[in-house]
Amino acid sequence: MFRFIGARLVQSLIALAIISVVIFVLARTTGDPLYLILPMSATQEDFANARKYLGLDRPYVEQYLSFVGRAVTGDFGMSLRARRPVSELIRERLPNSLKLAAFAMGISLVMAFPLGVMAAVKKGTGLDRAAQIISVLGQSLPTFWVAILLVEFVAGRLQWLPAGGISGFSSYILPGFTLGWFVVAGLMRLLRSGMLEVLDSEYVKLARVKGVAERRVIWLHALRNALIPVVTFAGIYFSILVTTAIVVETVFAWPGLGRLAYEGISSRDFPVIQAVVLTTAAIVALVNLCVDCLYAFIDPRIRYAR
Amino acid sequence: MNRARGAVSVLLLVLALVSVVMVEPGRAQAKPELTVALSSFSTEVLDPALGGHIVKYYLSLMFDYLVGTTPDGQPSRDGGLASRWENSPDYKRWTFYLRKGVKFHNGDEVTSEDVKFSLQRATGKRSTTGYAGPLRTLIQDIETPAPDRVVIVTKDPTLIIPTYLSRSLSTEGMVLPRKYIEANGDDVFARKPVGSGPYKFVEQVTGSHIRLTAVDSHWRIGTPRYKSILFRLVPEETTRIALLRRGEVDVADVSRERVRELEKEGFPIHFRREEAILSMWWVLGPDGRTAPSKDKRVREAMNLALDRAEIAAAIFAGKADPAAVPLGLSWSFKDVGFRVTPEMAYPHDPARAKKLLADAGLAAGFNLDVYAYQLPGLPEGKALAEAVAGYWEKIGIKTRLIPVDYPAFRKLWVDRQIPGAIGYYNIANRDWIGAYALLEKMAYSPSKPNDTANDPEIDGMIAQVMRQTDKEKINALMRNTFARLRSEHSGIPVVYLHSPYATSKTLGRWNVGTVMYDLFIDQLAAGK
Repeated sequence: MFRFIGARLVQSLIALAIISVVIFVLARTTGDPLYLILPMSATQEDFANARKYLGLDRPYVEQYLSFVGRAVTGDFGMSLRARRPVSELIRERLPNSLKLAAFAMGISLVMAFPLGVMAAVKKGTGLDRAAQIISVLGQSLPTFWVAILLVEFVAGRLQWLPAGGISGFSSYILPGFTLGWFVVAGLMRLLRSGMLEVLDSEYVKLARVKGVAERRVIWLHALRNALIPVVTFAGIYFSILVTTAIVVETVFAWPGLGRLAYEGISSRDFPVIQAVVLTTAAIVALVNLCVDCLYAFIDPRIRYAR
Repeated sequence: MNRARGAVSVLLLVLALVSVVMVEPGRAQAKPELTVALSSFSTEVLDPALGGHIVKYYLSLMFDYLVGTTPDGQPSRDGGLASRWENSPDYKRWTFYLRKGVKFHNGDEVTSEDVKFSLQRATGKRSTTGYAGPLRTLIQDIETPAPDRVVIVTKDPTLIIPTYLSRSLSTEGMVLPRKYIEANGDDVFARKPVGSGPYKFVEQVTGSHIRLTAVDSHWRIGTPRYKSILFRLVPEETTRIALLRRGEVDVADVSRERVRELEKEGFPIHFRREEAILSMWWVLGPDGRTAPSKDKRVREAMNLALDRAEIAAAIFAGKADPAAVPLGLSWSFKDVGFRVTPEMAYPHDPARAKKLLADAGLAAGFNLDVYAYQLPGLPEGKALAEAVAGYWEKIGIKTRLIPVDYPAFRKLWVDRQIPGAIGYYNIANRDWIGAYALLEKMAYSPSKPNDTANDPEIDGMIAQVMRQTDKEKINALMRNTFARLRSEHSGIPVVYLHSPYATSKTLGRWNVGTVMYDLFIDQLAAGK
């Protein structure tokens, strides 16, 4: 087991090293950040001074080695735009993204479980179709559109919930729902197909023959076995929610990691772009590692096969 | 079936109860906090030497300028740390007398040493402020003969020192605490700034907000009306408006197209009229202007092709006015006595435009690259580029729209890699000295990279302004420069943009002023 985890860890580190090179190169292909930072009246001397001060005058290899050398100690350098340590910005923003993602995941689980189970149990009925429509809408309606509608009507017109920012529990509901609805679709469909498969299995039929109450058969015997793929999917989606909530964070003025990435990209803030990408890659790698370990723990064939 | 119906009813009831619990009551009485929601904080920096003019709206609450400015852009002896100033007969020594008893937020007294330190820092190599370069070139020495007296010695005679160090331009005139910065370092100061303004720094969460709290009483505004001011960063306009409707913010910047809707709902709209001139120009080549725009007739034809009134109405929701003078920063016009006559306004005359092109031997038109990009404060950027290209197509010019981001265009422009192509910018309006500084960059050949005019006559006039000490002569030079820019069709002035700010219904009067990048929030907070 430890060998398996060790191998996975090495693979994750190699992936992070490759990502660090790719993002370092890609960030620099977007252009020179000084054309955004310096005012129109800046002279060539101002450009040279700023380039030197920000360390952008050094050869790329030197800049990369310096970036990687510091990154392993958790120091991502200084933001070119905000002139603050990037690690400080990440520390400020990451918890907000984690909290929002956790809330959104909670909402999606609360919605997906009853919908998925009922859609399987009442297969082919109006309830099944309604659940499928909800899931299709969740995946097909653009997130920015849903978010803006909620802000305009629920927050602005009806004044039921806060429109933006972090100001307590109620401020999580609209962004959490917008993010969570998208995930509901995947979870619900996965749960529905899992349940359909399990409900048709011999042990469920046996339970029914033995006279176990139908509610108990569904929620205890069948659901437990349909959950494994759902848990895996939810884990992976959680990391996606943390790292890709740019639109939701922008509309709801939520100071999270996605917004930081957007601000970094739009201002060509190389240290911020590099740090955000590496952090998100590390989160995805960590979640994947956990999922792999969980699989290996659940199914011994996986760890012995590798 | 009945059970399902019952469950739905219970769910709806719970939702209704939750919504009732969460509805926040409207606020009728005055609030201890003034909340300003803005679409962008720009760089979000707190150090005046790093932020420059674009973050003046919050920095000017935390810091005092050496020279004060009234909201309409005039130097003021009441609004700055210098209660008076005087120049030597040769205009090379400027003496500023500091207000006594002014203290920084950490208790240190403001002295001439702080002024000297601040100015040296603002013009240092690390500085990214708007006018660090020109001041560095101009200032020879800074003397501090007494704690309340500072003397700025210039290399050449000049009139512009007080304006350069005032609130009407960038942040070079902000006075910072020398002892605090020397003891704690630049990085600590950049995170926990200490100033002497009416509000002191409390906290910043990047991407979210900046909170300031009032000092008990301040010589600039008296006892403040608001105990604290919160600047909230809310990029999405729908959200800013929802916050305004909910009473969670008092001031919000809004787009021109949402103004009518908000006015109908009774929200007061404060316009910064002519906040920017939307100006287009031809990119020069390494040796100056290139054909076909080298021909004055072509430049005039391209100006006549535009229907500026239609652009103002259709693209800018009527919240813009046609402009007539290239780089014509209208807030400076009254300072220098320049008047835009009716004859200067470009009519929409495609027939004459076509004739001018034919006279220039271009009856069949020519190829033209138009760079299309969005700019801060100009979400209509790409729509404008498309519209303008359409007008030029109608007179036979074959346009090609090239979508880029502005920094990419700026590099191509200043490196002169795309001679003859068209670019644009919403240039912030400013007073005469600001206008001069802009002309010195964008219409003065020796400044090379940013020049757009390439006109020796204008070069001659601009070169005289800086060294001129007779204000009347400066005014005449500035008037003649604007007139020449117009008569030579040196650029394509499109419209003056009016920028709207919506406020809560109970906020009261607010003079948003006519000073570059400054909203004069302290006027709102003034208890005087």
